[in-house]
Amino acid sequence: MREWNDEIRKQLTGLNLPPAREEEIIEELLNHLENLYEELLAGGAAPEKAHREVLASLSQSDLLVELRATERTAGPDPIPEGIANSGHLLADLWQDLRYAARMLRKTPGFTAVAALTLALGIGANTAVFTIINTLLFSPLPVEKISELAAINATQAKMTPQSGELQLMSFLNFKDLRERTHSFTSLAAHSNPMAITMTDTAEPRRIFAEGVTANYFDTLGIHPSMGRFFLPAEDTTPGAAPVAVLGYAAWQGRFGGAPDILGRTIKLNSTPFTIIGIGPKGFKGVYAVFGPDVWVPSTMAEQIFPAQQRNALSDRAITLFTGIGRLREGLTLAQARAELSIVAASLEKEFPDTNQGQAVVLRLLTEAAYGPERQPLMFGSTLLMAIVGLVLLIACSNVANLLLSRATVRRQEVAVRIALGAGRSRLIRQLLTESVLLGLLGGVLGLLLGYGGCQFLWSFRPAEFAQNLADLRINASVFGFAFAVSAVTGLLFGIVPALRTSRTSVSEVLKEETRAMGRSRNRISLANTLLTGQVAISLVLLVVAALVLRSIQSEYTIDPGFETNHLALFMLYPGQAGYDQTRTEQFYKQSRDRIGGIPGISSLSWASNLPLWGRKETGVVIEGQEQRKKSEAISAVVNTIDLNYFSTLGIPFVEGRDFTQDDRDLSTPIAIINDTMAAKYWPNHDELGKRLQLPRRKDFLQIVGVVKTANYQTLGEAPQSSVYIPLRQNYSDAMILYVRTERDPSATLAAVQSEIRTLDPVLPVDDIRTGTKVIDQALWGAKIGVGLLGVFGLLALSLAAVGLYGIMAYSVNQRRREIGVRMALGASEGSVSLLVLRQGMTVVLSGVALGEGLAVLAGRALSRFLYGVAGSDFLSLGAASLLLLVVAFLACYLPARSASRVDPLVALHES
Amino acid sequence: MGTTLDQEWKKGSAELLILALLEDQPRHGYDIGKLIERLSGGMLRFHIASLYPLLYRLENRGLIHGRWVEKPNQRRRRYYRLTTQGQITLARQRQSWREFVSAVGRITGEEHA
Repeated sequence: MREWNDEIRKQLTGLNLPPAREEEIIEELLNHLENLYEELLAGGAAPEKAHREVLASLSQSDLLVELRATERTAGPDPIPEGIANSGHLLADLWQDLRYAARMLRKTPGFTAVAALTLALGIGANTAVFTIINTLLFSPLPVEKISELAAINATQAKMTPQSGELQLMSFLNFKDLRERTHSFTSLAAHSNPMAITMTDTAEPRRIFAEGVTANYFDTLGIHPSMGRFFLPAEDTTPGAAPVAVLGYAAWQGRFGGAPDILGRTIKLNSTPFTIIGIGPKGFKGVYAVFGPDVWVPSTMAEQIFPAQQRNALSDRAITLFTGIGRLREGLTLAQARAELSIVAASLEKEFPDTNQGQAVVLRLLTEAAYGPERQPLMFGSTLLMAIVGLVLLIACSNVANLLLSRATVRRQEVAVRIALGAGRSRLIRQLLTESVLLGLLGGVLGLLLGYGGCQFLWSFRPAEFAQNLADLRINASVFGFAFAVSAVTGLLFGIVPALRTSRTSVSEVLKEETRAMGRSRNRISLANTLLTGQVAISLVLLVVAALVLRSIQSEYTIDPGFETNHLALFMLYPGQAGYDQTRTEQFYKQSRDRIGGIPGISSLSWASNLPLWGRKETGVVIEGQEQRKKSEAISAVVNTIDLNYFSTLGIPFVEGRDFTQDDRDLSTPIAIINDTMAAKYWPNHDELGKRLQLPRRKDFLQIVGVVKTANYQTLGEAPQSSVYIPLRQNYSDAMILYVRTERDPSATLAAVQSEIRTLDPVLPVDDIRTGTKVIDQALWGAKIGVGLLGVFGLLALSLAAVGLYGIMAYSVNQRRREIGVRMALGASEGSVSLLVLRQGMTVVLSGVALGEGLAVLAGRALSRFLYGVAGSDFLSLGAASLLLLVVAFLACYLPARSASRVDPLVALHES
Repeated sequence: MGTTLDQEWKKGSAELLILALLEDQPRHGYDIGKLIERLSGGMLRFHIASLYPLLYRLENRGLIHGRWVEKPNQRRRRYYRLTTQGQITLARQRQSWREFVSAVGRITGEEHA
């Protein structure tokens, strides 16, 4: 008795059970041994013999091992069975997870391939989502963004959707602020303006915004260092040369210098004192592009170009956007109603400047993207759809892998079912496994996606990198990746789980005698998935090809000026502190000296950058003034110097160019383009007629008509344009256009050094060639086609891997059949053909389906394509051909290995 | 043959038999072991090291429930009874077992021969 007790205690020591539990077990086991002993005695055994036998029964057992296994599996059994729930969902889940992890560890090859495949799909999704999240979903680090609204001007009768939002004049803004009560606080900011900053030796171009003193308070943000503007610093024009530096600019342009506060920097040659650093991550309210520095709006005169110097006192100069925080409980509609009443009264009081002007109020979340919102939304949706499809392909690959594993696992599943495992429990277990796999892929995908984003973001133009939005990897990105991974796990796991759980014991046994007859069924499901994959890959490839072709033809668009052998230099003499006389002298001198450089055939000055023209609304044509307000005439206005048209290669239709004699005191004149001429002078009598530009007093006499060019975007619809001579319209911010005889890049340096000789302080860092202008105009589209191409190829390679996998699997399954065929005299070629035919049937049906879908997709896209039809034969053909070649390779390799099956070996195996 | 059958059987369906034995009335561990041995005509035998861990496992999974019972002039014993979950599982395992046996029968030709 004593020894039994000791023996049992000895065996239980390694278990570390709670003392009470241990005592219970010991008591129960002792009972058992006691019973055995008594029975042996009753059976006539001698006490010593009985005693020995009882001890022996204990010592030959591996009680410890068995008990340990039991205690380790507290809760349900490791092989989950039907209704054998512990009743605790969490405990069950934990159990399932541990079991799933064990199963995945057992097959590292499968796990690695599946997780990598998923990682590619999830990574692509995460990357695209991160960018969208950065640009669209979490734009501003301000307080309660839903209360903030942006106020712009617009022409009456135009809806906000028309995109014709205009800036407001400072005086109109001030009146609005005084007369409305809808806002607890109303501030204004200008757009980011390019200015010249001189802090040490090297002058640099940065972007500044003029803001009212309450701007930062209205947004509810706090400086990360120093302070923001005081009300007193925003009352007297020119009195408070103080500046708030953006956090990114402080880090990037000043190396995060800790002693930055109190430092003086020169902005456009006026010294400003830095009083504060903006909060980290805040780059103005315009989500895409932000300023480096903020100055009080009263300093407008010091930082704005000459034409806008009177911005604070001239109601006609529009530079500001209002930002208001809505009073609590007030709806946007109520605020709009109040604003429109004030706008109407301003229109009555100041008909000269405010006629036809209405006020637009939009939530800041909507306004923060400006005109880019539409293309951004479209691009985002398209990209999201595409990476969604890529993920679908990855899912179907992994589903196929799981299906082939399911065949292997039928034995395991059959045993579980024989032991009473219920279907739902089995499905739950299998799904836990696939979700775990999905999450594993998700973690890898998050890393891939993050890397991909960084890579993509590194293509930002370096000169603006600090002004563009920063990538945000935040909780919503993690949440997104997690959700996608979990859903993915369910998606690719559900069909295999349903199928596997339908296994029945008797069928598994039958199957073993019938050499896997049932796996045919599996192959047909796999084939369906493959057909879908091929079809989706084809659609993606076709879309990529269509966009590529569209960009190709955009390059052939004639912008209306000669882009080859053209270079331009942005120079703002006004920002170097030049007055009008000095600036005009500078224009003349540089014209003379640069014109003398060998290889330069002509040059001119103009105020507009190609494809960055600004439209002005409110042009008045003499004799046609009495138009309805809603029909206000708008035109792109460009101030130009002599020889502009010959330098840019814009031909004259009729009339004459500006000459040396068109000066300040002579008759004010203008040149228009043929679009405007045809629209307003249908009888071709425009020469000698007069027009008036918005906010200007003089009527200008038309002396010439030139061909229409592209002014705002490449391939735009023809727009009216008015050119006015520099000599009658002074400007201190001009762009130098140079036409060269050969490749312009060779002469760039020579021009630069000439300008340096003329004035070493003038920054000439923004130089581009004409072709680069076109490149930049298509930058976004090119990034787009790059992404589409990458995702299309990703889809193709995933589909090819899937195809190869399933073909190799099916060849392996059919080894016996192939062996028999070969034993009966089939040649290697005919066996290869057999396998190839099987694979290519799937591929061809996928291609047929894909072509149908691609035509539909092309049709949906056609209005975004330029110069290429949605059903473009070349795109469709090229994509199909590429897919067929890759698919053929994926089928050929297994087919070749099939032809090498040794009939003897194959027959012997089975 | 006896030992192989014994091992195979235990691995597969020991649970089924224990559940079946507890269907009518609660029993203690020694009783269960004896009954299995007796009813199988000595073909099936449980070691103490496999019987009790199995009972604990079934209890952990909520299929059976053990309770100490004291009777006059006896040591107290732990009696196990079938829980509702245990009854459902038993029914299910019986069904699977029948399918299994009939499948084996069909293949080996014992059933209709």
